[in-house]
Amino acid sequence: MAGDALKVNGLQKSFGKNHVLRGIDLTLSPGSVTVLMGANGAGKSTLVKVICGHHRGDGGTMTLAGTAFEPEDAADAIRKGVVTVHQSIDDGVIPDLDVANNLMLDRLVERGHGLFVRERHLRAEAAKVAAAMGIDVNLRARVSDLAVADRQMIAIARAMARAPQVLILDEPTSSLSATEADRLFALIDRLRAQGVAILYISHRMSDIRRIADCIVVMRDGAVSGVFETKPLDYEAAVTAMLGHRMTEVDVAVQNGSTPVLELHDLQLFDGAAPISLTAHDGDVVALVGLLGSGKSRLAEILFGIAPSHGGEIRINGQHYAPRSVEDAVAQGVFMSPKDRATNAVIPAFDIADNMTLPFLRGLSIGSFLKPRQQRNTAQGMVDQLGIVCQSVGDGINTLSGGNQQKVMIARWLLEPARVLLLDEPFQGVDIGARRDIGRHIRATAQGRATLVFLAEIDEALEIADRIVVMNEGAIVGEHANRNVDLAALVSDISGARPTAAGPAP
Amino acid sequence: MLRRHFMALASVASLALGAGAATAQDAPAPLDNPGDVTIALVRYLSTGDFFQAYLSGVESQAAALGVNLRVLDSRQDAALQADMVDQAIALGVDGIIIQHGLTESMREAAQRAVDAGIKVVAFDVNVENDAIPQIEQSDYLLGKLALEQAIADNGDNFAAGYVYVPGIAPLDRRHVAWEEVKKANPGITEAARIGTLDNPIANANANQARAALQANPNISVFFAPYNEFAKGVKIAADELGIGGDLSIYSADISTADIALMREAGSGWKATVATNPAVVGEVSVRALALMLAGEKPGASVIVPPTLITQTFLNDNDIRNMEDLGSKMPQFQHADVAMADWMPLPAR
Amino acid sequence: MNDKILNFSIRYGFLILLFGLIVYFSIAAPGFFGPLSAAFVLQSVAITGILALGVTCTLVVGGFDLSIGAVATSALMLSAYSMVILEHPAIVAVTLCLGMGALVGFINGLLIVKFRVPDLLATLGMMFLLIGLQRIPTQGNSIATGMTLTDGTVAEGTFSAAFLWLGRHRFDVVIDRLLPMPVVIFVAIAVLIWLFLGFTRHGRLMYAIGSNARAASLVGTPVNRYKVVAYMISGVTASIGGILLAARLGRGDIASGNNLLLDSVAAALIGFAVLGAARPNAFGTAMGALFVGILLQGMTMMNAPYYTQDFVKGAVLVGALVFTFYLSSRRTGTRH
Repeated sequence: MAGDALKVNGLQKSFGKNHVLRGIDLTLSPGSVTVLMGANGAGKSTLVKVICGHHRGDGGTMTLAGTAFEPEDAADAIRKGVVTVHQSIDDGVIPDLDVANNLMLDRLVERGHGLFVRERHLRAEAAKVAAAMGIDVNLRARVSDLAVADRQMIAIARAMARAPQVLILDEPTSSLSATEADRLFALIDRLRAQGVAILYISHRMSDIRRIADCIVVMRDGAVSGVFETKPLDYEAAVTAMLGHRMTEVDVAVQNGSTPVLELHDLQLFDGAAPISLTAHDGDVVALVGLLGSGKSRLAEILFGIAPSHGGEIRINGQHYAPRSVEDAVAQGVFMSPKDRATNAVIPAFDIADNMTLPFLRGLSIGSFLKPRQQRNTAQGMVDQLGIVCQSVGDGINTLSGGNQQKVMIARWLLEPARVLLLDEPFQGVDIGARRDIGRHIRATAQGRATLVFLAEIDEALEIADRIVVMNEGAIVGEHANRNVDLAALVSDISGARPTAAGPAP
Repeated sequence: MLRRHFMALASVASLALGAGAATAQDAPAPLDNPGDVTIALVRYLSTGDFFQAYLSGVESQAAALGVNLRVLDSRQDAALQADMVDQAIALGVDGIIIQHGLTESMREAAQRAVDAGIKVVAFDVNVENDAIPQIEQSDYLLGKLALEQAIADNGDNFAAGYVYVPGIAPLDRRHVAWEEVKKANPGITEAARIGTLDNPIANANANQARAALQANPNISVFFAPYNEFAKGVKIAADELGIGGDLSIYSADISTADIALMREAGSGWKATVATNPAVVGEVSVRALALMLAGEKPGASVIVPPTLITQTFLNDNDIRNMEDLGSKMPQFQHADVAMADWMPLPAR
Repeated sequence: MNDKILNFSIRYGFLILLFGLIVYFSIAAPGFFGPLSAAFVLQSVAITGILALGVTCTLVVGGFDLSIGAVATSALMLSAYSMVILEHPAIVAVTLCLGMGALVGFINGLLIVKFRVPDLLATLGMMFLLIGLQRIPTQGNSIATGMTLTDGTVAEGTFSAAFLWLGRHRFDVVIDRLLPMPVVIFVAIAVLIWLFLGFTRHGRLMYAIGSNARAASLVGTPVNRYKVVAYMISGVTASIGGILLAARLGRGDIASGNNLLLDSVAAALIGFAVLGAARPNAFGTAMGALFVGILLQGMTMMNAPYYTQDFVKGAVLVGALVFTFYLSSRRTGTRH
């Protein structure tokens, strides 16, 4: 078809013995959003890297608007009109420069650009680009000071400055809240209307429902399903991805009786409404809310990273006020933080070292480590959680995102916690791994109180006994996870219901 | 008179070294087969005109003998210099010249070399070992000859300026000559004493000399027994416009110094120097004597040479090469000689 | 197959190169091979090696210590001042130096973790400070027995025999008076640091800090405390190096120790390449120091002038870094 923007035919790629792409066919049409789905390790990232010139394919052909497309490198792909916004946002922006400079950066590296930067001209141009993309931030702000969503928009705006024929977005919403994602979707709608062919990679069903014109599903390095007739059959797509039918998770809701964690009129920051909350032994409580709702702050206070501004925390009836992370861990409060690459993964370490890091004291005699016991402990967790690896001596970065996250969660299950905090445990995790983690958290929940901090309602429904909604530092709603009134839940999250409503009885 | 003094000294030195034998003969073993002989030069100091010239002297004398030379350069790293002596031992060299260094760090290393049966000489460093002859340039004579020239030019009644930094061994030895001359000639008075080793040395001393000369206009002679000191005094005198009225006597020489001495109206009247290349040659010859089983003596002194402004002007000397060719005693010292000893070609 | 060769060369390439170098010099430079020569190589790398091991600890926590050379020369001057001018016994001089090293390391650590000065700048500042400070008590003069002090008196103290023993004693191994004391101390420190970094939980946590300090702090590691400790280890090992240097020289010589910083940093960086570790490690550092030592000894024996030695040292360092960062990234670059 002559109208195709990008056509991939029989693409092959191997890394050593590892045959990652086994003959991929893919067609992207102008003015249409193609969603690429696939569990972690299906080969999505490799496919993207071949298209954007990062790797060379071993076999097969690619054509761009009818002519052969064999990018020499990433810069060549961009020159030819294929632009990619990678998952890791900070690859797409220069954090230490201000917004205007970031937006204009690609102009600055053009050969025709003069030696000197005309500051005023640059800002005027940047303002035009920002307006066209619907970005509303101070152009003089340093990008590192911006919210994640704004950084993401700037990365995309930078990509659009190239006027690409094909735009590839690799999990663009993985760090965005719902409203932020809506802004992104509005932008994608606009680009689609301009005739750009968009390849959109995501795990999130809500995203996919919102924007997909066509779904391509990959499994084990091959295309396992193409869905292009409307209405799109999402369930079939998920089935094609997982290889079995997706079943709704049924949560057997527990109601613990012994209070473990009690918050009494806790103020998260100066002037915030006091919050009170009780989590019982065996409870899994999901705290949901948008970015900035205060749920991250609450996690930080409980884990000794940030101070509270009034009120009291009690654990097992005793006053609890951690001075530091070290102190919190010593008192049995553990937290798996969000953004595992920044906050949790030790890239230089193998699986066993990563997993056992907080509890090395128990795995050593005097100061000397007992490597065999360390490995056995890690191996036990690897078996329980179904972490896919060759041995616990594998480097952590050889694992897929889902398996990495399993290691990060397993880290805090090695020793019994009194309170376990999980901040965005499903970030960048495929559905299979998400189910494994959720099942294991629920199975081990007895003997502690578990708080899970989430932005996605779907995820909360899968794991929690109760869902507590936060907004602007306050608790604005509480729902037992049984016949949940989704409409009420969503309006709590978006702040539509007045705070005075308070927790449900 | 000075010339005679110098000649006497030189002949005394050569007699003491037992280098007076008359008949020519082939070099004794092992130097009859010099290709199999290796000597090592283990250096502490190496950058600067003096040290380059010294090395060239060592190289040319070693070439004349036909022996192999290895140069180990520690670049002012005293611990490394000691290691290098050990390296030379491991290499199995026949002889070692230790050039400069610290007594404390070299004493034991030198003893290890001697214990290994290696012949060792030391230049300008006292390694406190009876088996190791000291090669020295006589700093005392350097000062003495310069001051005798000052008296010859200016009589024995004048006010003098003096540059001195205590605690620096060669300067301390030159200082002895100054004290002697003052004692022997009551008419000579020390009107001002300055001196610093701050870098750049010439510039820092120029500042001090200018102050001293302004405060003491009666000073007619300046004794600056180190060429950088003399340079500084000359700068000060020129800046004050008294270049022609002040006579400067110093020690050491370089091509740059020759130009300064020969400038029109220069007050730099004379300097006394030992040719570092000659010292290098003497070091190798002393070692060769030891290899041949002869004894150069506990101390081998290379005599200095007086170089006057008049001599430089009369012979139109522009650089160190000219100086060597016009002044044979500067080119060669008749020290540590034997009749079988080949000399570098001139 | 290709991957196998790549992996093998990353892991063993450096050690094979080291072995090849020894074979080559043994053939090309008579007198190179033998216990005597080996003892000299070890002796020549002992002091830089000790400093390099300290720097390795700061590299492990993601820092850097530029002040080690200055700490070593300060220890050199301090020990001389203590014994020659204050007439202390050896034990007091040694204690003073070790305390000074620990204090400097503590201040470095404090500047970095408390006052948030970037590590390179903090330790660079400390380097200048110490270079000046060590010369103030003697107005820039070297310290030797019999020197004239500013008040006109003469320094009567001497380097005690016990102190000199630290730098000069040679143990009888294979042949009499072969193995110098500094080599024994170097090997002992290397083993200690190797055990500490590789096999204790403290070492493991320090590596975690160097790899991802934020993640390490979020599992409850006292990151700042470990960083300060790393700089203190670096300061103490540097002062040990300075003590040994003083004992070898037998005087407080201001000109000595100029090359210590660069040589030891080079050894630690070359160590990244050993066994394909691609990170600072004690075994690699010791091997890196040995590699440089063997190379220089061999070249000296083959009569190469000093400037070619600097050139070769630089080439080895650049080669090792390329080896570490380029090849290792290719090895792990198959999956992101």
